Amino acid sequence: MSRPRRDPRAERAVSLVAGEGSRPRYDRTRRATGSGRPRRDPRAEREAQRIGGLARARYDLSQRGRSVGEAVTTPPRAAPAAEAPKTLVVEAPAFLVAVVPDAPGGRLSGHDRQVIGAARALAGREGAVAVIVEGACEGLGAAGADRMLRLEPAEGYDPAARAARIEAALADLGARHVLFPESLDGGDLARRVAVGLGEALFTNAEAVAAKGLVRPARGRRVEQSLTPPRLATVAPDAVADYAGPPREARALPFEGSAPPPPAKSILSATRIPADPATVPLSLAEFVVSAGNGLSDLDTFRHVVSALHATPGASRVLCDAGLMPRHAQVGASGTVLAATCYFALGISGAPQHLQGVAGCEHVVAVNTDLHAAMIERAGLAVVQDAQTVMPALLRLLAEEAAEATAREPAGEGTAP
Amino acid sequence: MRIAVLLSAGLHPVSGASVLPRVEAQAIRMAAGLGEAVGLHAGPEAAALAEALGQGLARIEHVGIAAGDDPVPALAARLAETGPDLILAGRRSQGGDESGLVPYALARALSIPLVPDVVAAAREAEGSLRLDQSLGRGALRRVSVRGPVVVTCHPDAPAPLAYAFGRARRGSVATLAATPAAIAAPTVAVEERPYRRRPKIVKGAPAGGSAAERLKAATGEGGSAASGRLLIQPDPEEAAREILAYLRQIGVLAAAGAAKSKT
Repeated sequence: MSRPRRDPRAERAVSLVAGEGSRPRYDRTRRATGSGRPRRDPRAEREAQRIGGLARARYDLSQRGRSVGEAVTTPPRAAPAAEAPKTLVVEAPAFLVAVVPDAPGGRLSGHDRQVIGAARALAGREGAVAVIVEGACEGLGAAGADRMLRLEPAEGYDPAARAARIEAALADLGARHVLFPESLDGGDLARRVAVGLGEALFTNAEAVAAKGLVRPARGRRVEQSLTPPRLATVAPDAVADYAGPPREARALPFEGSAPPPPAKSILSATRIPADPATVPLSLAEFVVSAGNGLSDLDTFRHVVSALHATPGASRVLCDAGLMPRHAQVGASGTVLAATCYFALGISGAPQHLQGVAGCEHVVAVNTDLHAAMIERAGLAVVQDAQTVMPALLRLLAEEAAEATAREPAGEGTAP
Repeated sequence: MRIAVLLSAGLHPVSGASVLPRVEAQAIRMAAGLGEAVGLHAGPEAAALAEALGQGLARIEHVGIAAGDDPVPALAARLAETGPDLILAGRRSQGGDESGLVPYALARALSIPLVPDVVAAAREAEGSLRLDQSLGRGALRRVSVRGPVVVTCHPDAPAPLAYAFGRARRGSVATLAATPAAIAAPTVAVEERPYRRRPKIVKGAPAGGSAAERLKAATGEGGSAASGRLLIQPDPEEAAREILAYLRQIGVLAAAGAAKSKT
């Protein structure tokens, strides 16, 4: 066989269009040149077999000296260069969709991003999303905000005054729709604003689109839908984040009214942080968990208290009575909602991994390189947890000693 | 201290039978630790209120209004008459629209402050109240409040008292005539249909990604684990340093000595 062998992979690779998102796209009209296989031209072949200039066509059908059509080659098209995402600008929006995020500590929470994504869906091409924040807030443009209205942050806890400030800002903005997150703070603010403005509030919307909002009612037996109302709150984990190119988040001018006198009824408000040692496992922020790879549980408890974490355990330790049952993580124990999960000596049974599925970051220490927990972890250490725990304690103690040694000097130099 | 506990006509989320919502039973318990409490309900039926008597209320006032009417004017009129020092309510009603607006509308109508999502309440000296407000994830805000206040109860509050049949028999429900209806609350005309479950949003899934990518995101392999670091048989000291650096980078562990010296 003289015909060259085809290489389907190379042919496919040639027609791949580069730089258009994560999903591969192919240009089927492009000629495959990767295999070097010439393209046949049957008419030319037939013509080459024709004998003489006779009136009646005669052909030499023997295989000798058969000419093969010239290979058709096209130079590969230059792939479009991947450009940096361009900031989208809505210069003259037809209407505004306002969002009042919680933004705890000047950072958008995951729920806030979802609400901005919902507002983006309502705004479409013509509208613009305006975010009302108190104090500085980062990452608004990437989250999908076209405009930003910044209020001066207030001191102390006075939700009624905050609602009054937001009402004034909304009156200034003249937004067509206003969305709030249905969180503890956001839901409270939304209800205060709705009652203050005397308008209806569409609470806990689970689907947000330009043609309507949907919320569950009567114990999730029915769902109520409505064309987008003026005030609405958006349920958590119901709407996707904004995924398009970044937007400008242009600051809008706003002169806040004079702050109202502080309410006399609220005498004081202090924040009491959660005690990690006693907080229920399902609410914990940072869980350090022990598995069958540990034998020294006293050191484990010291590590947990030194890291200011909540203790957890795998099923094996709880069954053996080494850890309390309420500390068990997994399908038959507690399903976590923690930010970080630190697994010591846990291989990661599927039932255990179900309990960890909601955790954003996982750190694992295990002797087995092929354990499922090592595969799941963002930082995986293949080492005996029994040797890592004392090292952790030593390092934390050293840092604490350094900090106490530095503290008097720091106080002396501080003005 | 005179306390009013607002009761709603709750429906059981599964069976649809009329039931006292759990968070209101928790509010009754909270009230029992503070002083004498009276239940208050505005609605067409009083039959559903007997359970609240068994949960610890001795007396319930029932303001009769037609079904579908706004309960806020009737409740506000009655509360303005009696003038309680503390008005306790559940966070959301159960079985109705579940919008949670009634306590806010009442606080507005009575011009008194509202403190939401309270898990514990105690009396302080000089007639003020100490309220522990839930901030989620076990954190609390301790608010000290004076004067009449509306408080909504959070589901994380202590569990309700046990139901007592004798208490339910001894308690009384007084039915009052409603004052003429005032301005109704703004309502919206909604379209109703049977509830349909919606797929859960998978965090971190790329928009328009393939099925394999979405599966990766759903099982947690697409996030931090995809770009995960793997240290094979490191020195324990080095492993500890790496772990602490990682924990500080994601922000769950305070920076070295930050708790001691804040500069």
